[in-house]
Amino acid sequence: MTCEQARTQMLGESGGEDFAAHLASCESCRNEVSRIGTLWQSLDLLPLEEPSGTVRERFYEMLGAYRQGLASAEPRKAFVWWQAAAAAALLVLGLGLGYGVRGDKSRPEMAQLREEVASMRQLVALSLMQQQSASERLRGVTWAYRAEPSDREVLGALVTAVNHDTNVNVRLAAVDALRRFAASPETRRAVIEALPSQTTPLVQVALIDLLVDFKERSAAGVLKTLAANQGANDGVRQQAQWALEKLQ
Amino acid sequence: MLRVFSNVNVNMTDNAVMAEVSAGRVARLAVLFERYHRALFRYFISMNGHREQAEDLVQEVFFRMLRYRSSYDPAQSFTAWMYQIARNAGVDQGRRVRMAEVVDIDSFALASSAPGPEESVSRSQDLALLRRAMNQLPQDKREVLVLSRFQGMKHEDIAEVLGCEVGTVKVRVYRAIRALEQIYFTLEKEKAS
Repeated sequence: MTCEQARTQMLGESGGEDFAAHLASCESCRNEVSRIGTLWQSLDLLPLEEPSGTVRERFYEMLGAYRQGLASAEPRKAFVWWQAAAAAALLVLGLGLGYGVRGDKSRPEMAQLREEVASMRQLVALSLMQQQSASERLRGVTWAYRAEPSDREVLGALVTAVNHDTNVNVRLAAVDALRRFAASPETRRAVIEALPSQTTPLVQVALIDLLVDFKERSAAGVLKTLAANQGANDGVRQQAQWALEKLQ
Repeated sequence: MLRVFSNVNVNMTDNAVMAEVSAGRVARLAVLFERYHRALFRYFISMNGHREQAEDLVQEVFFRMLRYRSSYDPAQSFTAWMYQIARNAGVDQGRRVRMAEVVDIDSFALASSAPGPEESVSRSQDLALLRRAMNQLPQDKREVLVLSRFQGMKHEDIAEVLGCEVGTVKVRVYRAIRALEQIYFTLEKEKAS
């Protein structure tokens, strides 16, 4: 390998054995690798610019508008199809081969669009809830209210937020959002399981209130343990005791 | 206990997600937006130094992805396809708004984020010089550095974006870093004198 060839191997992806052999025998290239390698690495230290929040808002507005445009185009498509179907039916009738075999294709198309809307809401909620910024995760929780109550993925993300989010406001918002999923036994089970591991009194009280709202009598065991726990916050213990009475 | 984030949608490869968008499930574009809008923003701001323009261009790229979604070939690298769109969007905007070949340093400084930790350490002067040197690089050299260093793209993908051979990309990256080095040392000497 010549020095000229070695220069193209100095940056980015690894150079291979020939390159290593060349470096071992060429002091000039070793020096160059060291010098520009330092500069190459130092580019990492330049501050990263962050886009403003309006970029996301504008994107979802644009996506929504685009989808609306698609949806409004569907009836026209259906109309064209209907015209063609009617013509075909008349032709078939005219030929004496029986009645038309038309069907309504717009229904499955609309069902697909509805499914896509639900899918978009799910993706927005899930994506936002994975963001580093707590305010973004809060927005994700807000989007969770727009998800279908049967959406297990959003439910899973909310439960994760309740159990593991580092920000108490996000955890509280996620507890509230779980109400939308009240019909699911998984939600109730997840709330019961979340209660013993919580250490923040505000979140504990919110979870207890949720169990009372759910009229979840199977939570009695967890509530009794909490009410008897001398290490727990007094307010939380009182709330657990109150919940036990309400659920009797 | 609930399984969390088991949905394959969140973990799908970029190519698979874009293939779904291409097939008409346009809402899936939200996944790609969440994955790439920051990287695209940084690409544009590295190229033109204007926050507002960079944000407009990010929007434009995702709009073009929707508009031209049927042209996407799942066998092609998604990132290469995306940056081809980004480059074209940048060029088109450059026709409308004359993009300065060399970024105005003052405006870039104003556009930069709030003082970061690097400014509180002794290397802050070096970083300021490095940033100035980057901004003074000719646009073609800056672009290849941005794609390879800041966007972390493979040489193969950069070759696809730039429409050249992989070997040419390697040479361009080398020349770009050498040019950056020369500008940097020139600025350093000016500062010392």
